[in-house]
Amino acid sequence: MNVMNFVYGFIVLVCVFIFQTTLTGLNRKVTARLQKRYGARWYQQFLDIFKALRKDSTSHGWVFDFGVIMALGGIMATVIFIPVAGFQAFPGLDNVFVISYLLAVGMLGMAMSAAGSGNPWASIGVARALTNMLAYDVPLMIVIFTMIFAFDSSSLSEISAMQQGMGILGWNAIRMPLGGIVAIIALLGMLGKKPFDSFIAPAEIASGPMVEYGGKHLGFMFILHEFMTFIEVSIILALFFGGGATIWEYLLKYAILYTFTNIISGVMPRFKIDQAVKYFFKLPLAMAIIQGLVVIFTGLGVTLWF
Amino acid sequence: MNLTIILAVTLVLAAASFFITRYNKMSGGFTTVLSSLFALVALFMMRGSIGEDFSIFYFNFSITTVGWYFSVVMLIAYSMTSFFNPFWMEKMMYPGSYNFLYLLSMAGTIGMFFAKDFITLFIFWETVVWSSTFIIQLGKSRKASYIYYVVSAIGSMGTLFAIMLAYSVSGTFVISEAFAGLSGGVAIAVFFTFILSGLAKIGIFPFHVWLPEAHGSAPHTFSPVLSGGLVKMGAFIAFLSVTAFPAYDIFADMFKIMGKPFPIYFLMFLGAISIIVGTLMAIKQEDAKRLLAYSSVANGGYILIGILMMDQVGFAGGMMHLINHAVASAAAFLAIAAVAYRTGTTKMSEMGGMIHRMPVTYLVYLIAIISMAGIPPMGGFVSKWLIFQGLAKDGMLFLAAAAFFGSIGSFMYVFRPLSAVFLGQTFTRDLKKKEVGFFMMFPMIILTLLSLLTGVFPNIFLRVIAEIQTSVGIDPITLANRTILTSNGYLDAFRVFIVFGFGFAIAFVLFVVRRKSRKVELMDTFTSAEFIHTRELLHYSSKFYAPFERLYDKAPDTLTAYKKLAVKVGELGGMVESLFYGHKPEKTVFWMMAVGIIVILIGGVV
Repeated sequence: MNVMNFVYGFIVLVCVFIFQTTLTGLNRKVTARLQKRYGARWYQQFLDIFKALRKDSTSHGWVFDFGVIMALGGIMATVIFIPVAGFQAFPGLDNVFVISYLLAVGMLGMAMSAAGSGNPWASIGVARALTNMLAYDVPLMIVIFTMIFAFDSSSLSEISAMQQGMGILGWNAIRMPLGGIVAIIALLGMLGKKPFDSFIAPAEIASGPMVEYGGKHLGFMFILHEFMTFIEVSIILALFFGGGATIWEYLLKYAILYTFTNIISGVMPRFKIDQAVKYFFKLPLAMAIIQGLVVIFTGLGVTLWF
Repeated sequence: MNLTIILAVTLVLAAASFFITRYNKMSGGFTTVLSSLFALVALFMMRGSIGEDFSIFYFNFSITTVGWYFSVVMLIAYSMTSFFNPFWMEKMMYPGSYNFLYLLSMAGTIGMFFAKDFITLFIFWETVVWSSTFIIQLGKSRKASYIYYVVSAIGSMGTLFAIMLAYSVSGTFVISEAFAGLSGGVAIAVFFTFILSGLAKIGIFPFHVWLPEAHGSAPHTFSPVLSGGLVKMGAFIAFLSVTAFPAYDIFADMFKIMGKPFPIYFLMFLGAISIIVGTLMAIKQEDAKRLLAYSSVANGGYILIGILMMDQVGFAGGMMHLINHAVASAAAFLAIAAVAYRTGTTKMSEMGGMIHRMPVTYLVYLIAIISMAGIPPMGGFVSKWLIFQGLAKDGMLFLAAAAFFGSIGSFMYVFRPLSAVFLGQTFTRDLKKKEVGFFMMFPMIILTLLSLLTGVFPNIFLRVIAEIQTSVGIDPITLANRTILTSNGYLDAFRVFIVFGFGFAIAFVLFVVRRKSRKVELMDTFTSAEFIHTRELLHYSSKFYAPFERLYDKAPDTLTAYKKLAVKVGELGGMVESLFYGHKPEKTVFWMMAVGIIVILIGGVV
């Protein structure tokens, strides 16, 4: 661990921000075309963020500010841990549990700040967001657990390296098809895409946790959202779709996966939060458990393709 | 320092505190602080004398690493909580008895962890049970101490039975030899009855009913000890039942599930059920202390699963979770006690916005729950990580599913007191309330730093655990400098902490360089043009997860189920009574003869 690691980490943050914000902008266009609109320009997302950062803001006390900083800090630290096409700013820290629980620091910070605003709508949004997290995370973690058992490694970069070199057949999403389906559904939940977007639910609870944010706080939340999207898509990409051998392959796959979730989201209605829990604890949970039992007891999926 | 001196001094001070409190309540409370701090320091220094054996009267002791580890954890909870005692003396009904029992139960735990034979262990165990029963009675409700005593008694009787049964085979009470030569059905009977007191103490389903009652209504200064300390006594019994009673050797030929003999797997499965039940029940509590009590049930499940795994990684995780949960839960209970000291309530719907009045208490609670929920960079993460890695190595899917459920569910329930008690609008009643004094803040800060220390430098603690692992004959956890190595992954907690700090620093700088924001009141929020002027009404605190709770609100409650069972047993007794003791003597004679004939007939057959 020396200065260069931190410099690399900073560069990763900047690149990820530019890439993901551009992609979000492009996806606004995709969603618009799905809905037969023309859509905003591809760089509109940048304009939104910088405009928010430049505006005046109001604060509801120190925990409102502290929560925002803690959230963005935690999320940025998590981004630094994500291996991109084999590159890591801090090698060896890409343990999947570390990443998924460090992500929780950011979420806790966000929840704290939102509840600290004193707006009941924000609290309702937080309650739904945490419930949603319980719903999607249990099936997903079971699949990830199965994978750690199968490959005897919990490092994101190692697991994605194991899938490379065999083309599409090497991907875990193909080797463990049920797990792959669970992962895609869970990704929709993680990203807060429809049908699992009840915690934001703009028309219903005034944007949920975000209701009191404005100015730089809102700008921070936008940046945080871009980083969080990157982490969540990257986890699924690395575990189930083989990451990428080169940076271009990685970014291309990433863009396809992210756009795919957006297209699904564009044509879906919205679950109520208890419906989302019920949904995840039925079919996806059952599929995750079946996948786990198949892998643990038969070894099918670990050695099938070679 | 000799254990004899520690025990003698603690017991003398216990008796003394009773009389001191008569003259001056405050100094009686300070006696408990001095005594428990003395015991902590003295025990900590005893690290050098591990391996010594000695006797006092009929009691035999032996100083072991595991005893040292457990008693230090226990005394951290006792000594830190004792700082609150002097300030609660005025509110206590019998302050003298409280101080006396507080120190007596502390002495009991010390004696128990170092016991060399089961008689010593059992006597000290019962000392703790009895003294804590009477302390719980000093709190809000009597019913709580009944439930606590009944559950503890079931456990104690089970353990006593197991000890006697083992004695009839091996002829000795010495812990390391008492279980030698057991096999077959007797071994299973001894195993399940012996661990009964452990399950009861640690709050494993279906014995978890006492935790919410006792933790919830014990005096605020004793709940941290109950949850942070006394519950861990059960972990010690669980530890003994896989080491002194070599369950893995004795059950080696039995039917195995995922590589574990089925009696052990069954207990681990009970641990998994406790995690789920504890989590679900904690989510719907409306009282902060009851909520934390149910979280202890869930965390007890993790500890039990970890210890019963008896391997390189999971066992280390279970043992480390012991100290992490002790520290975090003591800190959380102390924070709630501090709030209750100022507001006089622990009901979440009756509080709000305490962060503006008690910022330090808020930070203490925040760090405690970060550790309890298993989020880096706090200690709880390291131990949960170890347990997950251990479970993943063996492929124990269902236990892992429960562990994940509990882990993510804990985000939900630990957030509730945070948002209901500390965040949101301050109630009009509490606007003039102040932060607690330094003397009460001090233990909370120490516990907070300890949570951070376990999370950033876990290897300090894992080295002791590695020693314990070596002493019971399993591979010690592999540690390299600051890194923890397992066969399927490794963790450098210090670097994770540094990178987290780096991210936080960038965010902080970015925040500070932007224009300063205007501060507005918490009543000045977006309310869709509704005018709300009552602070209390705008704070959203009760039924926080209503849509989720609705999914399982029909589920049966364990305590209610027990009560129904009790009614049924009573009815059965009533029926039998009506048969024998009716108004007609000939009926009684008839039934006596009938029973007699049946007995003779069966006796003839057998």
